[in-house]
This record gives sequence, structure tokens and C-alpha cells, in this order.
Amino acid sequence: MTNFLANKYFQISLRIILGVIFIYASVGKLFRPEDFAKAILRYEFLPVYFVNIMAIVMPWVEFFTGVLLITGIFKKASSLLAGISLIVFLTALISAFARGLDISCGCFSLEETSTKGDIIYRIVQDVFMLAGAVIVYKFSDTKKAQETVTAEEIN
Amino acid sequence: MKTAKQILIIIVISVISGLAANAINPKGIPLILEKNIYALDTAKQKKTVDGFVNDPYDTTTKKNNNNMLGSTGKKNKEGFIEPENITVELAKNLFDRNALFVDARAKEEYDSVHVKGSINLPYEEFRSKGFNEKSESMKKYNKDGIIVVYCKGGKCEVSIDLAYEIARLGFNSVNIYRGGIAEWKEKGFPVQP
Repeated sequence: MTNFLANKYFQISLRIILGVIFIYASVGKLFRPEDFAKAILRYEFLPVYFVNIMAIVMPWVEFFTGVLLITGIFKKASSLLAGISLIVFLTALISAFARGLDISCGCFSLEETSTKGDIIYRIVQDVFMLAGAVIVYKFSDTKKAQETVTAEEIN
Repeated sequence: MKTAKQILIIIVISVISGLAANAINPKGIPLILEKNIYALDTAKQKKTVDGFVNDPYDTTTKKNNNNMLGSTGKKNKEGFIEPENITVELAKNLFDRNALFVDARAKEEYDSVHVKGSINLPYEEFRSKGFNEKSESMKKYNKDGIIVVYCKGGKCEVSIDLAYEIARLGFNSVNIYRGGIAEWKEKGFPVQP
């Protein structure tokens, strides 16, 4: 199992999938801080003072994390950052769900219509992505990946 | 340690990019939001009270006015509490809390499609009635209950006129949902028939 998780090609595919999702999620928000701030406000999660700075910076963190994941630069750092971001998103989503807030996610598109089912779907999606980020973080060690490849070659 | 340093680099670059993008963006926003400038969307949303369920037909219990949406509790010079505009999100929120939805359109339009559970008070008919007759027709509804008036959406204004008529009768939480049936349907929210 470890061999499979640390497999070079598995790692690359995982990084590309995660990276593409992160970039996809960020592009719509990079130049629309106002709309994203509104989306954050609806969660009633962050203190009002932090909402704007979050709306300005967060999409860029997502964007660079995605780019780094795909290119494989700073693998550990980008996967850890992806994991941390996902935990933050998950916390916000779960707390919104628990409080019964009927809001749209604001995860990918800022125009999504709001349904509670959407929130549950996003929570599940985030959990899967978080698992992916953890796998990249834990098994992206180049030496291990190398060993796996050589072990496969020997067999 | 190396990872922490790299994370710091990513965050610093993101902060710089974000600030730069925001600075050159004609629709950029201030760094610190001092008060909620999107109040139309959210401030009123906050006024919703957890666990509070509206009963439009309960004319016996006097509800606490602070719990009322769209109601400042303050009467205007004419002696009634003015109706307030609400967003589609809030309209749905109120719908979930059993608010009384009032359709201000003509009967034929109401019959073809309306918000689930809404009642029909065609404005054209309603305004021609005398005060007592109007009062009588609204007698069965809770004066402290939440009322949401709507029409077809877009530029229709009968919802506003009807909302003021109802507020004048002494109803304390009258809200106007300008998005109307058009936006409601578009969002896929419950309609009848």
C-alpha cells in the first residue's frame, strides 16, 4: 500500500488533480474580492475585520498552491498548505451546516445558487481532497518514490 | 523547518500578489472592513433568530419585537412601521421560518404559479377597499408575524404598494421581496401549483 501511495506516477497524478482543482477554484475569485468577501460574510464565521484581507489573499494562496502542486516545486510545503486551507474550508463549511445556514458555498463559483445539499456535497469533496493532500505530504519524499520505482524495476 | 520557510514564501508571495491585484483592480476593496458594507445581504440575515418559528395565524401571543425581521420596532411619522426590502436569501430564510407570503398580483397570475403556501391579495382590489374592510380581511393574521410581500419581480411595484397598505393596518414586520416570483422560480424554490 505504501508502495502504491508513494509511487511516482500516483503521486504526480494526485498532485495534478489537486493542483487543477485549486487553480480552478481560485481563478474566478482572483479579481473579484468584493464578491468573494460577500461569500465569506455569509458564513458569519470570520470576524468582520478579517473578511476583506481574507478575500484579497486567500484566492492567491489557492492559486500558487495549485501551481506548485502541479509543477512539483515545494511539494511538502504546497501539500501542507493545501491541507491547512482545506481544514479551514472544512471547518467553515461544517460550522455553516451545523448552524443551518442556507448559503451557497462560494467554493468554486461565486454565482452558485444556494442549497444546503450543496454544502454537504462540498464537505464530502473537501474530505477527499484533504486525504489527497495528506497522501502527497506523507509520501512525496523523493527518496521513497525513487525506491519504489527501483523496487518495481527489480521485480 | 525547510517546509515552514517554503510555506512562508508562498504566503508572502500570495499576500503581495493579492494586495497588488486589489490595488490595480478598479473594483478593489478596502483592506479592513470596518462595518458590514454589504448589510443588505447579511445584516438582516443576522437578525434571524435561531429556533424562532413564525406563526402567521397566531393572533394571541405577542411576539418580542426584537425578534422580528425587517422591523426596527420604530414607528414612522404616520404611525406605522415601514416595510423593508429583503434579498432572496432572506426571503428563503423567512419562508423556511413559516413567514406569511403575500402575492400582490392579479388572481389569474397567482393561479398560474405562486410561492408555495402564499396567499393572494391583488393590490388593485385591495386598495379600493375601505380601511375597515381591509382590516377585516387581515384580521386572521398575526400582527407581529412576519409577512413577505412579492409580485412578479423585475420592475413590478405592486408589492411595495401592498406592503405599505398592510403595514398601515398595524402589521409590524412587513417585508418586500423585490425579486418576486421570477427570481424565486429561477432559484428553484418551492412554488405552487
